Amino acid sequence: MASCAPTKIVAPLEEGAWQAGATLGRPQINDGSLPMLGVYAAKGISNARTIYGGAGLSSSLFGAIQLEGGVVQGITEPVGWKPGLSISYGANSFISARNADLRVYPDAGANMYWKKGPHIAHFSANTWIDPTWFLTRYDQGQLLAPSLGAGYRFRYRWMEIQAEYKFVNPTRELVVPQANVPGINGLGGRGFYYGIAINF
Amino acid sequence: MKKTILLFTALLALNSCQDIGGALFFAGDGTYEFTNDNLETGYLVNETKIHRFETYSENDTIQGVYVGDFSQIENDTIIVYLHGNAPSMDNFWSTIGVLANLNEQHHYGVLMYDYRGYGKSTGTTVDAASMQADYNSVLNWLKVRGLTSDRMVVFANSLGSLPAGAAAAGNSPITVEKLVMEVPQSSADAILQGATGLSLPSSMITGYNFDLGSDMANYPGDLLWMHGTADDVAPIGNARAAMAEHQGTYYSEAVYEGAGHGLRWDIGNEEWSRVLLDFMRE
Repeated sequence: MASCAPTKIVAPLEEGAWQAGATLGRPQINDGSLPMLGVYAAKGISNARTIYGGAGLSSSLFGAIQLEGGVVQGITEPVGWKPGLSISYGANSFISARNADLRVYPDAGANMYWKKGPHIAHFSANTWIDPTWFLTRYDQGQLLAPSLGAGYRFRYRWMEIQAEYKFVNPTRELVVPQANVPGINGLGGRGFYYGIAINF
Repeated sequence: MKKTILLFTALLALNSCQDIGGALFFAGDGTYEFTNDNLETGYLVNETKIHRFETYSENDTIQGVYVGDFSQIENDTIIVYLHGNAPSMDNFWSTIGVLANLNEQHHYGVLMYDYRGYGKSTGTTVDAASMQADYNSVLNWLKVRGLTSDRMVVFANSLGSLPAGAAAAGNSPITVEKLVMEVPQSSADAILQGATGLSLPSSMITGYNFDLGSDMANYPGDLLWMHGTADDVAPIGNARAAMAEHQGTYYSEAVYEGAGHGLRWDIGNEEWSRVLLDFMRE
């Protein structure tokens, strides 16, 4: 449920441009992967700033309304092999449809990207912040839930295709009873994350 | 108006949400070949003492097996074994063989049953209520035949700790005075939080909000906790914290370095039996 979508926006959209898309996260578990579906929309409010909002559909299926929103701010543009830099900040919320339990997780991240024509390659780092880590049972909470990713996206006219490989929460062991969560040296999770979007 | 319809549709969809609890129960088929052919050497039983029985839980039929004499249930000490998360009680028959040989062959009666949807028990296990109903059904079957609190030991393995915890906390037709928790889980919240690394409560994915720590805090009887430090199914840290909430009359723990979730296989029948027997004699 955490960071289970590709990085929404890496290179800010042009001012006035919209992008709407669907995402599919496939974090690995055992020999397969979980399907984490989501949708999002983004708008370039200036050439350097894009806002976005999204919803997690898989979470909704199991009874949690998962909504997110944020801003991507361009810092520098890519020039040749010199990468561009953007930062992001926002928040993710989960509301239980069963009893209205609420959790809110602010997030912040940075993207280093190269852009040539329709091709965008990037490295992204992001962390969710858990301000209610102390509410975990048996003190197993932690303030930060970081993720690292490397990806490629093809942005051409009205469409964009995204693929990214992510390591999620590599600072702790993720335990699912009677299942194996492949990570790095027994820590965190990993998997491919995909997205498809239209630009208008 | 459009927005109202959209919102209503979304809320309706969310109200019919799935419960992931069902996906975590590994119920499956069972053959129920309860014979000495499927027991370990040195832990055989008198096959005339193997009895299949049925009870009824709400609209479902619960299948059980009892090793001992039906006619002596009113006199014998009986171990009620609540099995772990495997397709049926077939997977735990060898453990029943070891329990039936504690101290000496057939010193104790041993009972095991399949939760609904497991093995040949009908229906589907979905939540705390269904597991509680199945447990009550079996305990009432024993109560009618004369079993009393002072002669009952509840032994819970892994998943079995969920109904056993609730039963020990006061929801049992026969009061639990002696409880063994072998590689128990801890709480639904702890499982989701351990899987995601976030402070998400279990209500985000399931209505089965079990909490063994809370159950143990409300259990006044004797408790034995058995666990391995290398258990990757039921993390020992969470289990330890849950068991530590026990405030009852007697507490004992047996923790084994390097042992995993298949504790009996890792530590051997001899040690496993010794610890159990010491507790039962306490």
